[in-house]
Amino acid sequence: MTRRVIFPLILFAVMVLSGVALELLPHQLLMGTYMIVPHWLFVILIYIAIFYDRNDTYYAVLYALIFGLLFDIVYTGVLGVYMFSYALVIYIVRGLKKMLQGNFYVLLMLSAFGIAIADISIYAIFTVIGFTDMPIEVYLLNRLIPTILMNLLFLVLIYPFIIKPMRKWGTELT
Amino acid sequence: MNFFRSKKLFVILIGFIVLVVLIGYSLNSRGHLNFAEKIVSDAVGWVQNIAQAPVTFVTDIASNVSDFKTTYEENQVLREQLSQQKSMVYDLQKLEDENEELRSIIDMTETARDYEPIYATVIARSPEQWVDQVTINRGESDGVQENMVVRTAEGMIGKVLRTSKDTSTVQLLTGFDEFNRVSATVLRDDDSDIFGMIEGFDEETEMLLFRIIEESDSDIEEGDTVYSSELGGEFPAGITIGEVKEVVADQYGLTRIAMVEPAADLFDIRNVIVVNRSIDQPEDEDEEGDDES
Repeated sequence: MTRRVIFPLILFAVMVLSGVALELLPHQLLMGTYMIVPHWLFVILIYIAIFYDRNDTYYAVLYALIFGLLFDIVYTGVLGVYMFSYALVIYIVRGLKKMLQGNFYVLLMLSAFGIAIADISIYAIFTVIGFTDMPIEVYLLNRLIPTILMNLLFLVLIYPFIIKPMRKWGTELT
Repeated sequence: MNFFRSKKLFVILIGFIVLVVLIGYSLNSRGHLNFAEKIVSDAVGWVQNIAQAPVTFVTDIASNVSDFKTTYEENQVLREQLSQQKSMVYDLQKLEDENEELRSIIDMTETARDYEPIYATVIARSPEQWVDQVTINRGESDGVQENMVVRTAEGMIGKVLRTSKDTSTVQLLTGFDEFNRVSATVLRDDDSDIFGMIEGFDEETEMLLFRIIEESDSDIEEGDTVYSSELGGEFPAGITIGEVKEVVADQYGLTRIAMVEPAADLFDIRNVIVVNRSIDQPEDEDEEGDDES
């Protein structure tokens, strides 16, 4: 019963925290050429998709839809962008997971791939609706690569704390 | 027909249609939150209010340490400025009295400069840096309305984009474009003030773009201070926006654009003031239309 509420709670807390995440970074980074977007919500969703979801459950995709929409409402005001990008990529990651074993290196690889696709998707949508006019090569160097690196760092940092309970809840799920 | 039988592709297709509908909807109703969005914003804002306290505590300690290093030099400069300030305060007092007296003679009591401040704290900054929005902990119940100017002690930082009951979203100057602009002015002694619009932000130079709409004799110069102007009908006059650094011609060579360095630090914002224009609002819609033409 507890695990039905624990993931929504964690995801909600992470969503709130990403609003103050930029405060924690040094301001030189923000003012400089690099753009770093904390996709923390997405990182947690990847954990859920890889270590919690069975082959016949879709919790991660469902949470991606719900919290992606909340993220859109609270932080961007353009509905659907994060919701669609997160849900689609989590769905793809979920498909890839079936072919691979759920260990640390697979997690790293899938996350790097997932964050890249999700951020590119967000870039594509924002470019189409005219929110940004950043050229693609600038985007790849100044935003995509730093964003992937920082989010992987976050992923590795929370790994020791999250992996055991996640595996435990995963086996309880029948 | 095989294509439509594939369930996965069908779901993704539906998802894509939903995405387009949602984006179209939110771009259309930009500035107005619907009922559900307001509830979500308030609920998240309430939690953000709590979460923000410990984070601020940590970042404050870090910035305090770095502040110590520069304190001595700053103190010297401030002392010097303070001595000049004293004589200015006296002048200002005299001028204000005189102004009031003259106003009472011509029966005009309210000016576009009057405003009521609403003090607020930034509780979150959008992680998506392309939208350049911050959330503050005051909303409709405190009198905040859309399109009000938001400033810090140094100068203007943006305007209120969306409001809910207890929080509101502020569009920072860095995210301004053709749809979000501010009328601004550079003061001149004789009656030839320079007018224009702040209508964008250059990421590379980190300067605001101030498009000058009136060709006046007195050319704009480096070091001029740009203030907000009451001509837009929305904002009070006299709020510092920034300082002119460079004047260039626009891409068609028809108008001039001044590169303005923002007076306020747009990246480190903590306490802000929402400027509630106290003077009775004229019909905003018409005036706006005139300005833009």
